[in-house]
Amino acid sequence: MAIELTDIRFYYSDRPENIVLNIPSWSLSTGEQAFVQGPSGGGKSTLLGLLSGMLVPSEGKVTVLGQRLDKMSSRQRDQFRAMHIGYVFQQFNLMPYLNAIDNVLLATQFSNRKNTSLLNEIKTLFNGLNIPEKEWNRPTRDLSIGQQQRVAIARALINKPQILIADEPTSSLDRENSEAFMRLLMPIVAENRITLLFVSHDQSLATYFTKVESLNDFNRVEGLG
Amino acid sequence: MIAKLALQSLADRKGSVMLSLLAMTVSIFVLLGVEHIRHQTKQNFSSTVSGVDLIVGARTGSLNLLLYSVFRIGSPTNNIRWQTYENITNNNQVKWAIPISLGDSHKGYRVLGTTKSYFQHFSYGKKRHLAFSDGREFNQVFDLVLGSEVANKLGYKLGDKVVLAHGIAATSFSMHDDRPFTVVGILATTGTPVDQTLHVSLQGIEAIHIDWQQGVKIPNSGLTQSELEQVELQPKSITAFMLGLKSKIATFQIQRNINEYKLEPVVAILPGVALSELWRMIGVLENALILVSALVFIAACLGVSSMLLASIRERRYEIQLLRIIGAPPYFLFLLIELEAFLITLLSCVFGSGLLVACLALLQDYLVYQYGIHIESNLLNQNSLYLIAAILSASIIVSIIPSFNGYRKAKSTLL
Repeated sequence: MAIELTDIRFYYSDRPENIVLNIPSWSLSTGEQAFVQGPSGGGKSTLLGLLSGMLVPSEGKVTVLGQRLDKMSSRQRDQFRAMHIGYVFQQFNLMPYLNAIDNVLLATQFSNRKNTSLLNEIKTLFNGLNIPEKEWNRPTRDLSIGQQQRVAIARALINKPQILIADEPTSSLDRENSEAFMRLLMPIVAENRITLLFVSHDQSLATYFTKVESLNDFNRVEGLG
Repeated sequence: MIAKLALQSLADRKGSVMLSLLAMTVSIFVLLGVEHIRHQTKQNFSSTVSGVDLIVGARTGSLNLLLYSVFRIGSPTNNIRWQTYENITNNNQVKWAIPISLGDSHKGYRVLGTTKSYFQHFSYGKKRHLAFSDGREFNQVFDLVLGSEVANKLGYKLGDKVVLAHGIAATSFSMHDDRPFTVVGILATTGTPVDQTLHVSLQGIEAIHIDWQQGVKIPNSGLTQSELEQVELQPKSITAFMLGLKSKIATFQIQRNINEYKLEPVVAILPGVALSELWRMIGVLENALILVSALVFIAACLGVSSMLLASIRERRYEIQLLRIIGAPPYFLFLLIELEAFLITLLSCVFGSGLLVACLALLQDYLVYQYGIHIESNLLNQNSLYLIAAILSASIIVSIIPSFNGYRKAKSTLL
């Protein structure tokens, strides 16, 4: 299993009666590509926070790649995230004033990855993601949104993560660009056997996935009253 | 990479960063400038005179006597009789004596009447004696020896005729134009008021005043230049004199004897004591200046801090991004500290560059107007310490925004 959640409860310590997440059991096997639909405010951000190690659950076990994130120190979780989890946001995925190459290089700063052919790897990634070479050295704020999201994928994949979390990555893109984004992303993920957790409210993208779930189905918040 | 990130992030916020940088540069300019000038003037002052055990003049405050006899600042209160000079220097403890006669000037530079013992015994800095860059001592009544700056600024060379003015104003209407002097020697640069002095013999001073009564020229003697040189030109009074003693132990004894001299009110001062007294007086002013410039610097530091603090809010997404790629919260602390450090470092470079340029430009003016020689070379231990202190202070002050950034990073959610 790539991800395993057991008896998860999450609430903020100042408001213990307000339970945000209550997940008795949920898992994602290695190499699986899952589409999770969830309305904003439905505990989606909290779930992604738990999986990426930005948050720890109030109760329960978070096992990612066989390691208990809830047992780790925050420093260990930061390190774990840098090395094993790629993350793409809806927007603000890049330092706007750095160029595309530096943005990807920045992501290697925290992963302890020693690699002499880093630049070559970046170039390969950029070529695979259809990012024209003339854009590589421009500040990323000058790139189109579609290009920015593709650089974001490169940034998320440079450390060869086993898990990729995509949080509404196509929401700022139009239909055409969304489709193009998905057609680029899915083969790369499959090729590298990366476990993908794709969160979106756009039901039409579900066609790309083998496993489609709704957060409301496994987050039993209402049932607690 | 972190340095690149910090630099590019600063470059991205040009507007506010430039203003902070400017404020910081100005404050560092002021701070370094005050400290440098303070250091230099102190060195200048304390090296003005050395090896002189006592300075004797008409009874006045010790500072006044020091200022007019050594620094050529202000005017003597009164003269002392030649007889007094003879009586005091007859003491067998006295090794040498340099009489000084002031009161005339040339284009704003003071004229000093003295004897040859001035060139033998007067010393400055670390007991360095006067040296000639050109020519020789005065031998004749109308011989003139120039300080290096006088010669440079006024473009005099050996053999030139120079007319002295009566009184010490820069523009004088009563000239000793009937008795020109000839330049026979030019002294090497000393960095002391000697450079701004014209030296003549006491006889020369007597000669140009022979027709004068009560400060007004009454041209009736009709003596020619050559006739004057034959006349016995015994000075009747001098302004002050410097004493070198055979034994330092006798200094206080001699000083008391002089201060109790019955025939005329005279006072003897120890130049070292008077110098440090002068320095203490100036020191108060200097400390105030240093304090003010330090406060200006602290204000600039706080300005940089508040700029960085404000930036943290607008960099919310950057912080979130850094966190998600694995940056620990302390990375944000380091990043903001580094930004503050870079601003201060750049300001140090600009500030000291500006200061060096200003000093190089103003050097001549300062020497000419105030007789202060300020090195434009900032590279001394003192300024390096100060720059180190400046950098440390900025690091300490920017703990505030850096810690704020750390806390923001720690509490960042998705």
